[in-house]
Amino acid sequence: MRLEELEREEESQLSDETSTNVVLIPEPQGVVVRHRWQKHLLTYLMVFGPGLIVMVADNDGGAVSTYMQAGGQYGLHLLWTLVVLLPICYFVQEMVARLGIATGKGHAAMIYERFGKWWGRFSLFDLLLVNFLTLITEFAAISLALSAMGVSPFISVPVSALGLTLLVIMGSYLRWERAVIALCVLDLTWFVLAFVVHPSWASVARNTLVPTLPLGGVTSSLVFLVIAVVGTTIAPWQLFFQQSCVAEKRLRFADLKWARLDTLIGSLITVTVAGAMMLVGNYGFQRGIVFQDPAQFAGAIMPMLGHFARNSILLLMVNAAVLGATAISLASAWAYGEVRGWEHSLHKKLWEAPGFYATYIVCVGAAAAFVLIPHVPLQLVIVSVQVFAGLILPSAIIFLQLLLNDRELLGDRWVNKPWNNVINWTIIVVLFALSLLLAAQVMLPNLFN
Amino acid sequence: MASVQNTYQPQFFNVIHPLNDVPEQKCSTEGLGRIRMTRAVRISLGVLRAYLIVMSLMLGYHVLELAGVLHKTF
Repeated sequence: MRLEELEREEESQLSDETSTNVVLIPEPQGVVVRHRWQKHLLTYLMVFGPGLIVMVADNDGGAVSTYMQAGGQYGLHLLWTLVVLLPICYFVQEMVARLGIATGKGHAAMIYERFGKWWGRFSLFDLLLVNFLTLITEFAAISLALSAMGVSPFISVPVSALGLTLLVIMGSYLRWERAVIALCVLDLTWFVLAFVVHPSWASVARNTLVPTLPLGGVTSSLVFLVIAVVGTTIAPWQLFFQQSCVAEKRLRFADLKWARLDTLIGSLITVTVAGAMMLVGNYGFQRGIVFQDPAQFAGAIMPMLGHFARNSILLLMVNAAVLGATAISLASAWAYGEVRGWEHSLHKKLWEAPGFYATYIVCVGAAAAFVLIPHVPLQLVIVSVQVFAGLILPSAIIFLQLLLNDRELLGDRWVNKPWNNVINWTIIVVLFALSLLLAAQVMLPNLFN
Repeated sequence: MASVQNTYQPQFFNVIHPLNDVPEQKCSTEGLGRIRMTRAVRISLGVLRAYLIVMSLMLGYHVLELAGVLHKTF
């Protein structure tokens, strides 16, 4: 009898211990659907975001200016460059998405961990510098566009900086993503403008598919603009941004195909929107309108196309700059937070990740303040951004390529296939050649004259 | 008498948002140290390092020159 009682006591103790040691993992909450197509569609909608945002944000304030200048100076002759840039955009960003999904870490952290402190610091310094200079151009675009609408830069720039800060400090990645996707959708208005200017669609199709040279042949200005188009379409911050964004969204291995689709759709949108900007610029080319920036162009076309076209161009310029500014500042904050080992997530509240949010706010605030300095040489900043970005882009892609061949880290499943490597080394060689050409042209401005 | 059996079994799919899902074990750099590189890659990176330093210095000089900082007379 006594033995039975002892056994019962032991069993009861064991049961208590077991119940205290077991950690119950709650079953993840999901949405139940009945059809396979619903499952695919819903999964895509849940995964999409990083690829679309990085690509649409790539058409930032500087890009609007570059593409419209390309159309304004050379009509439809440079449309073919966008067709060439489409696969380059996709292949580079696909590697970034794959690396982000495989490691769950940002690009800066990967360079730091696999290539050591020197390259880690160098890449980070380059990124922060070129991002800061690019941010200045975003605020310059906001200031320029809203000045043309009668808003003083002393109001437009601080309000934009405040809005950009409020966008991220909400403590939710999803809220930020939804707000930014709404801005991305607004960017599609460029297609409406492209129809409003009534281009010859036959010429558009011809110049898109067949590379042609403008009347003056290869000139210094043409070479510079082609390089600027390339530099604008693929920028170093994009690599860092998308990988961190994928890690932030905690995309799973199974999500890779949807992340690829997201990147492909994003690439198609960025290239076709860039084409629409060239078509709008081409309207100026056909009517002999000479312009230095899109705001000037918007003012010049108002008598012919009305208030809608003018205000749309100005507001789309602001939208592009805001999209670019939030993505670029986040790329800097994520990269700096990763390398410093700080909490670096939009899921955290302001006080839970103070270093991460401080980096974002300092980047935005300092760039906004810089634009408000009287007589600041903005044109010099814009040129420096293009040259510096062109200079560091090929090296940034080399690290990406080396990381995607790191079998020790990624295993056979995630490393590049041989055909991936052939395409990517070709891209790197082309970008290096353009980078050298750009650097040579900036140092020797009369090289092609 | 033949009987008809209902073999239809509805299939359901549970779609979970990545942020709500159980975290996966990712490829980790822990214990791996630095990436293994061939001699050729190491030399290429050394050349790249020199190229970037020289070009950055040249660009910096050019920008300062354009800004008029280097030719200021007082």
